[in-house]
Amino acid sequence: MTTIVLPPSSARALRLVLLLVPAHAYAQDAVPAPDTSGWSCSQCPFFTGVTGQAELGAVAVKGANASYGRYTGEDRSGAYVDAAAQGMARNASGDYLSFDAQRLGLPARDAGLTVGHEGRYELTVTYDGQPDRLYQGAVSPLTGSSGGLHLPQGWVPAGSTAGMRALGASLFSQDVGSERRTAALQARYFAGTQWTLFAGVSHQEKDGTAATSASFLTQAVQLIAPFDTVTDTLEAGVAWAGHRAGARLGYTGSWFDNSATALRFDNPYLPLVPGSLQGQLGQAPSNTLQQVQASANVQLPWRDTALTASASLGTLRQNAAFVPVSTLPGSGVPATGSLDGDVRLSHFALGGGSDPLPRLSVRGNARFDGRDDRTAPQTVNTVVTDTFAGGPAVARRYGQNRMHLDGAADYALRPWARLGVGGTFQDVHYAPGQVLDHTHEVQSWGRATITPLEDLSFGLKLGNGLRKVSGFNPAALPPAENPQVRAYNTAPRDREFATLNGSWTASPHLAFTLQSTLANDDYRSSPLGLQSVHERSTAGTIAWTPGNDWQASLDAAYQSLRSLQNGASGSASPGWLLTDDQRYWDLGAHGRWTHQRWSLVLDYRYAPSFSGNDASFGSPNTAFPQNTTRLESAALGLRYDVSSALQWHLRLAHESYRASDWALDGVSPATVPNLLSLGILPLHDSVNLLALSVRYRIGADAPDQ
Amino acid sequence: MAGDRIALAGMNSALAQLRLRATLRLLGVMTSSLAFTIAMMALVAYAGRAMAADLAPAAPAGASAAYSEAGADTCLACHGNAAVNGIFRTAHARPGDPRGPFGHGGLQCEACHGPGGAHVRARGRSMAGLVDFGPKAAAPGVRQNAMCLACHVADAAHDWASGAHAGSGIACVQCHQMHAAQDPVKSALGQTAVCTACHQAQRADLEKPSHHPLREGKMRCTSCHAPHGSSATAQLVKNTVTETCTACHAELRGPYLWEHQPVAEDCSTCHDAHGSVQPALLKTRAPFLCQQCHEGAGHPSIANTPQGLASGVPSAFLLGGSCLNCHSQIHGSNHPAGRALMR
Repeated sequence: MTTIVLPPSSARALRLVLLLVPAHAYAQDAVPAPDTSGWSCSQCPFFTGVTGQAELGAVAVKGANASYGRYTGEDRSGAYVDAAAQGMARNASGDYLSFDAQRLGLPARDAGLTVGHEGRYELTVTYDGQPDRLYQGAVSPLTGSSGGLHLPQGWVPAGSTAGMRALGASLFSQDVGSERRTAALQARYFAGTQWTLFAGVSHQEKDGTAATSASFLTQAVQLIAPFDTVTDTLEAGVAWAGHRAGARLGYTGSWFDNSATALRFDNPYLPLVPGSLQGQLGQAPSNTLQQVQASANVQLPWRDTALTASASLGTLRQNAAFVPVSTLPGSGVPATGSLDGDVRLSHFALGGGSDPLPRLSVRGNARFDGRDDRTAPQTVNTVVTDTFAGGPAVARRYGQNRMHLDGAADYALRPWARLGVGGTFQDVHYAPGQVLDHTHEVQSWGRATITPLEDLSFGLKLGNGLRKVSGFNPAALPPAENPQVRAYNTAPRDREFATLNGSWTASPHLAFTLQSTLANDDYRSSPLGLQSVHERSTAGTIAWTPGNDWQASLDAAYQSLRSLQNGASGSASPGWLLTDDQRYWDLGAHGRWTHQRWSLVLDYRYAPSFSGNDASFGSPNTAFPQNTTRLESAALGLRYDVSSALQWHLRLAHESYRASDWALDGVSPATVPNLLSLGILPLHDSVNLLALSVRYRIGADAPDQ
Repeated sequence: MAGDRIALAGMNSALAQLRLRATLRLLGVMTSSLAFTIAMMALVAYAGRAMAADLAPAAPAGASAAYSEAGADTCLACHGNAAVNGIFRTAHARPGDPRGPFGHGGLQCEACHGPGGAHVRARGRSMAGLVDFGPKAAAPGVRQNAMCLACHVADAAHDWASGAHAGSGIACVQCHQMHAAQDPVKSALGQTAVCTACHQAQRADLEKPSHHPLREGKMRCTSCHAPHGSSATAQLVKNTVTETCTACHAELRGPYLWEHQPVAEDCSTCHDAHGSVQPALLKTRAPFLCQQCHEGAGHPSIANTPQGLASGVPSAFLLGGSCLNCHSQIHGSNHPAGRALMR
């Protein structure tokens, strides 16, 4: 008897067809739609009219500084205006408006206004202010603008900071920080029920100062560098959304502009070579990024199956003019004049999820990300820190392609037990000329979720991973680099990780949650460099709601990060070992009480940390002092409802922040012979705040307020 | 002769078998091609049919007994209260928007909660056909999500199915409060509270000395992450970690003349974006972080000890900016002399 055996490809294909047959059978909606023409919604309390609230008050702050007010701008003791407003309006024709403005009296103010017509269009205008106060009381003898930082008249250069006789009288106190201001407009037009045209523009200005440094060979100076940049962004596209499928096509353009290509600064030291009186730091070059994106998704009726696909192609360009290679007399600009940088970015992805069986769900993703640096490598006749010629050097280009695959399956073994497995595979191929050709990493994990009681559940996830690398090309290392070192992002690695989750609702009024994670990375196959990292973290919350008027919660967390690395002073064998031990605690408490016209909110937080380093190579006294931080804050908020429209708000707060940092403690401008420092001290603050405001509401209350 | 006949018969048989196999192989190829074609046609036909159904007007049905008689007017007769009515101030309740449940032809409350006819006829004593939401809901999370995804899978949640939240069985209502006039997750501080209710380690990270301004309300989790799913790692809003970071930090995009390889590859090589006890969101401080990759001859490979602190023999390798005292252009340099990232 001749047995007919179908080729495997046919068998697979036929199985696919058979699978689609029931798919077609399930293509119908379960329940036909009713005739809703008589559904007048006459009882529906659609909002029409105007409602809003405005809040005006004052904030008095004592002891504020950059530490406290870094992101709000409350960095000085004194009084600030506290103003906010929100509101909305709608008419029966479907025109609507809403606005929200916060912190109008502070540099961190933000505001947004949205107008639209239901089902037709929507416009949103926003403004956002973002201060970033870094340091106060930094001192430097160099002052100026983006045009250059200069030493004062009468400056006496010296070979070391100790010899700078005019230093003490020449120090100017300056704050270091910046402002970021962003204005944006977004528009959406709804063409029918399924098409949306969208566009948005934003204009961002960022200016201020940043702490940086530069050197003349072995003599360094910290600088307060001014900057002024603009970033403009444009997004536009079209989207189609059906009931079971969708697609989107978009464009994104971003233009970063920096009018300053370099920052010149005077040399405070005695020149190491004649003419080395100034240095010049390169500034972030203007650049543009343009991308087009396309995505689509379809939801199949078979077992909640959904598929997605996306693609993106982009170009990153930069062609800012080069500055002269040195400030030394006779130095010129490289012949090419500019970089003509051209990096191509690509992204392709497929994803999907399905519940092929009643108790089984699966999902997976595949994506590719490419960074193709097409910039022509340049050979530059370098000059080392405006002192002596460094000879020709090739500016390397870096790029990589990254392929990532992941998949997971979860099965409900029992109503109270769920098991899952999954894995990832990542392959990174580096562009030619780099130290590695590629890395492969595989991770696998398994997880179990147990719900022994309706209100009690635990989850445990265990996994491991292995990263292998291709042959190592020491010729591609930077000059004089030890060929035994392995950069940890490209080093072989064994990884183990585990996560434990638990939640228990002990009663309708009491709930507990817990989350613990541990992860171990082993780089011990690397001869030199990072050897291991151990991470432990635990966090939990207790929430108590004894009544509708009472809420309280307690949260706590602990994290530990311990790493081990070794090094060698010019040899192949490790000559020293260093441990880095970071620990962090976080404890918070929150309470809210409401009674008739009164509402009280209490917040407390305590968050200390320490980090320590211990270098071991046989000599005594190798443990560094611990660097510590300690944040403690308490706040009380009181609200009194004079009427349904009028509220008084009182807020009292105290914050104390202390830090120690051996890199900054005791480091004045002349402490280090070859570092003219800014004298920045570790941040600390002790702030008391009193805020009083009145809030007035117009229009109908929101139903659930 | 007999042997020849047998041999010939055998040859004929072998040839016949070869022919049969060849035919079967050809049929197999045709079948596999045909099967593949059928499969693709079925998929395209379904997609086209779905699109056609989307574009065609809703089929007029005789009044379906599965649904209520008057829609929301029926529901609000019993359920009209402050806890419910907040939705009428949200985008879900815009009568002029045909895309929404309360637009013309919409199923109103039953668009999300399912057909309520049986529930009404049973005077509320039966939940047949309905989908309830929340941790105590009878409907499983997948069923609850299906109601939301019926409208939102093609827009906001287009990557939901392959995302981590779907894989963990997260329900939409664990993060969203649809009936609230102002969904807390849409405000900066409210969103941080919602996300960190589960992501408790990240909540702790946000309180660290070096952090992004989330607890100040100037950024939110969705500034970097897409909780509904995305095609990028860690559900980022952009394709890669670097693209996400440089969306705000455009000055670091480059490309530079002199590049620093880990910067070009992945910002998270050196930084922990959620928070760090080290300055500048670094995982470890300089010089130790730098020495994890650089052990060149001379000063990069020396063992730094407390002898170099301010109390001993102050060393520029440790104090101030450490390595960055000289190599300040750590993210890359466009200066012709920036080979060692010193200009």
